Amino acid sequence: MRRYRLSFAVALAAAATLAFGAEKASAKDFDIPTGAPSSPLFGARAFTQPMLIFEEFGTQPVPTTDCANCAPLPPVPSCNASPDGAALDAFLRQPLWPLPTREANATRTNYWAPSIGGCVRPLSTSAIEGRPPGEWFAHQRWGEFPPEVYFQTAQAGARVNRGLRDAWQRHGYSMGEFRRNGGLYHRGGTTNGLEVRFHPNFPVQQQNSVWTFDGTMPPKLLMARYGEAVLFRHFNALPINFAANNGFGAHTLTTHLHNGHMPAESDGFAGAFFFPGQFYDYRWPMILAGYDSINTNAGDRWAGTPDGAGGITRIRGDWRETQSTLWFHDHMIDYTAQNVYKGNAAMMNIYSAIDRGREGLRCNYANPNNPNLCFPSGTALDWGNRDYDVNLLIADKAWDSNGQLFFNIFNLDGFLGDRVMVNWTWMPYLDVRARRYRFRILNGSVSRNFKIAVVTQAGQRVPFHMIANDGNILEHAVAFPNSESQDLPEQAIAERYDIIIDFSQFAPGTKIYLVNLLEHEDGRGPNRLIPLADVMANRYAGDPAVGKFMEFRVAAYGGVDRSMDPADYVEGGQTMVPRPSIPANVLATARRRDFKFGRTNNTDETPWTIRTDDGQGYGADLHRVDAAPTVGQWEIWTLHSSDGWHHPAHIHFEEGRILTRDGAPPPAWERGARKDVYRIGRGTADSSNEVEVLIRFREFLGTYVEHCHNTQHEDHAMLLRWDSRAPGQVVAVPTPIPTWEGVYYEPTWDIPTAVRP
Amino acid sequence: MLRAVFAIGVAALLLVLAQVSLSDRAQAQQLRWRADYFPNVALTDHNGRTVRFYDHMIRGKVVAINFVYTTCTDLCPLDTAQLRRVHEALGDRVGRDIFFYSISVDSENDTPVTLRRFMRLFDVGPGWTFLTGSRADVELLQRRLGIRPPDPRNLREHDTRFIMGNERTGQWIRRSSYEDPQLLANILAENLNNHAASPSNRRQSYTQVTPAADNSRGAYLFRTRCSSCHTIGGGDRLGPDLRGVADARPHAWLNRWLREPDRMIAERDPTALALMRRYRNVPMPNLGLTESDANHIIDYMRRQDVARTQAASAPGGR
Repeated sequence: MRRYRLSFAVALAAAATLAFGAEKASAKDFDIPTGAPSSPLFGARAFTQPMLIFEEFGTQPVPTTDCANCAPLPPVPSCNASPDGAALDAFLRQPLWPLPTREANATRTNYWAPSIGGCVRPLSTSAIEGRPPGEWFAHQRWGEFPPEVYFQTAQAGARVNRGLRDAWQRHGYSMGEFRRNGGLYHRGGTTNGLEVRFHPNFPVQQQNSVWTFDGTMPPKLLMARYGEAVLFRHFNALPINFAANNGFGAHTLTTHLHNGHMPAESDGFAGAFFFPGQFYDYRWPMILAGYDSINTNAGDRWAGTPDGAGGITRIRGDWRETQSTLWFHDHMIDYTAQNVYKGNAAMMNIYSAIDRGREGLRCNYANPNNPNLCFPSGTALDWGNRDYDVNLLIADKAWDSNGQLFFNIFNLDGFLGDRVMVNWTWMPYLDVRARRYRFRILNGSVSRNFKIAVVTQAGQRVPFHMIANDGNILEHAVAFPNSESQDLPEQAIAERYDIIIDFSQFAPGTKIYLVNLLEHEDGRGPNRLIPLADVMANRYAGDPAVGKFMEFRVAAYGGVDRSMDPADYVEGGQTMVPRPSIPANVLATARRRDFKFGRTNNTDETPWTIRTDDGQGYGADLHRVDAAPTVGQWEIWTLHSSDGWHHPAHIHFEEGRILTRDGAPPPAWERGARKDVYRIGRGTADSSNEVEVLIRFREFLGTYVEHCHNTQHEDHAMLLRWDSRAPGQVVAVPTPIPTWEGVYYEPTWDIPTAVRP
Repeated sequence: MLRAVFAIGVAALLLVLAQVSLSDRAQAQQLRWRADYFPNVALTDHNGRTVRFYDHMIRGKVVAINFVYTTCTDLCPLDTAQLRRVHEALGDRVGRDIFFYSISVDSENDTPVTLRRFMRLFDVGPGWTFLTGSRADVELLQRRLGIRPPDPRNLREHDTRFIMGNERTGQWIRRSSYEDPQLLANILAENLNNHAASPSNRRQSYTQVTPAADNSRGAYLFRTRCSSCHTIGGGDRLGPDLRGVADARPHAWLNRWLREPDRMIAERDPTALALMRRYRNVPMPNLGLTESDANHIIDYMRRQDVARTQAASAPGGR
């Protein structure tokens, strides 16, 4: 019956296209969407649907005893489908079972072993957990950082949301703007009945068009606290047959928390993937970097976490490395672009003493000895208020004539969509109060960078402040427009910018827009900036993703805004998070490594290689270690684009400080920040060919990667492996090779310059 | 108008409903990257037969495709030699459920005759077809496979990537020809086949893993640039066994030979010509190595010679 309704919707949508005529075609010179006709709009008009608001996973305490009567992961109805939605919800509602183990759990077989036997081949052995077995991928420092809370989800095909997580929302649909009466974001108090559909006019996405957490919308958010270790059990409930993917996406997964301070076995190594019917336990210790060397007695009042009752629990580590806005996403070797595009991306907000998501509570602006910076958020909860703190996942997408999500797997330059979506809604509006808001903006595209302007209906720029870059709170808020940039700086794939906009300057009823000004012709990199005036006057035709993509509708605010005024924290004013001074001899003595991204081999036309320390340019081979820094050692890594193309280079695990861009100091929004994505190569004035980064790796060992975050480049195969090693460590972590039967290991080898004495 | 729209809507609906009962079976094969995506262009194989790209070459198959031209003196010989090692690693599966295709980008000069000659040079095994076709057709094919067609005046710069795919499942992976042949073979044999074959490597405990013996630059260059045609003490392959060569040839000559064999052949260097005649007339390719690269390789060859001598003279040595 459900299938019938879905088919009917498709047919109606097809009819609607005919009735309303073809949409405006893309300009001739722009291959956008890459290798496909423009995505039909089924008569939908811009800014006619509310934006989806991220749904919290909701964490719960890790049980201490094994569940006695829990059911296994529901079986699959066929080789080509995910389990039934109601059954999957019932399963995910059970407590965590079996209990997590330090080494991968290989005591039970794959939940779907019988089905796999029928669909693929009979399995002689298999394991319930896909984590590589034994010591090499055992949870590091397990006794020290045992998981206290957990959440579990299944990567599954698109389905209707049945309200599984309603009761796990911190706001409970009862507080602040989520309250029933008068709250802007109550929305019926449930996500029950929500389908995966980018606009009410569009068809519902078929099960194998979108694969995401739970298989449901809204997109998901993890809200975590420092000092409270999280266990994330990720079930793979995707079809057993690879081909059941509507043209793109791999059914094997590995989940990378970008850029948490996480041990390697929980970082989502590209080669440590797991199969349908298995889970993988990621254990995220939630410690501050510097745990082993800085503030080891947990005496620093700034290093802390909300205790749930208005106070702070002090923790070890360097509070100046407090992180806030992160995301996690698939990192499957060869398939990251396709899987992330298909829906395998979630956001993560980390709460801390300085950034607790609670305004008006012992604010730093009231007393400089108070850690709480009081960013716009709300007051109903002790931490994690989201009334005025909104995650925005911005990504370009495309769909076929049936409205089903489309990806061109054959374009290696990069894939561009023609429709910009925010939180998986096409051209949405968001009701906002006339007060300050924090927006956590993530570029979740495959190959598209954005340059975002905030403007009024009349095309006037709206002033705003940036407070965090890549999830790292800046030393000082940066006001925009400024002499270096009128609008938000260019934002590459995976970069996060947290900004504060004050809507109190506008009368209720005012409409404010987010506008993209950065033109792409193809996926190799951005082409040029389009003047705002041309865009607003409709004088520009070309890249269909240039222009307005989101509308804010200002509503009256009856409350008192108790959030900080970022203008008080700009350079010359108060400090948000001071930058550690660089020890005197570090720049002279740091170990230097050099990475050239691009077309580097004079006999090899493969452009996507990385050349380490002027050695050979390599494609991805996870058996090879290109750098093996010793924990605690200062290093300076120079990243170049050697082909002039644009590459957002990403180093896992630790953030770095940009020392120079093409030899000069970086702009204001990078000077006071730590970063994990470094734009190099062709771009706007915000980019440069070369970046020098000061970085060091601490607390955890093991195998990580560095790669271009234009994920089409990453997959073909601009990615290298580097290992964090203990002093004197001589044996490399062997290379895991996952199969249906389990994971075995092959030898690893170091390039000659990987290890430095 | 409205009635027409309604009629089309109903027709579309009926069509969708008609497919529902088949949906489980139909989904077993992906539908996106099939006959209406791949051009069914006619190519001529090395036996002079006309074959259609989609119908005959890729439909329902696991395939490895690369682009070559037979007068190429640098990249193509190495690519072909590398692909040959992938072919070897796959054994008799090539020709049975995995098919290799090398398609010429030089439609003007490459004919079935030149293709056959090239194949003989490289001792190409069964299941591997060489093809040529019109420039327009080959360019269309390249574009559809995500490969930028070369400038016809500069074929040397053509894209040499290996394209590996399973047409039935719609999985397509592209990798550099310089990668480890075993890794490429695993992609073809396992990854593209839903890991349906039993693992070809025995499951190995991590305690048995040892670090790679020689991770020097010379060893790496030899492994990726030389070992597809040469061994050191393991007998002739496409090219000569290089045992003892590091000392047998004058260093300057050897260094230059590694760097620019094409020029030395063009200059009719007598040793170079003699070598070529002896080894099936496969020209030693110009791999774009630097002087320092060549020295690293020579050092590596010499170390291998010394190690063999020591092993032979050691008690109990083999």
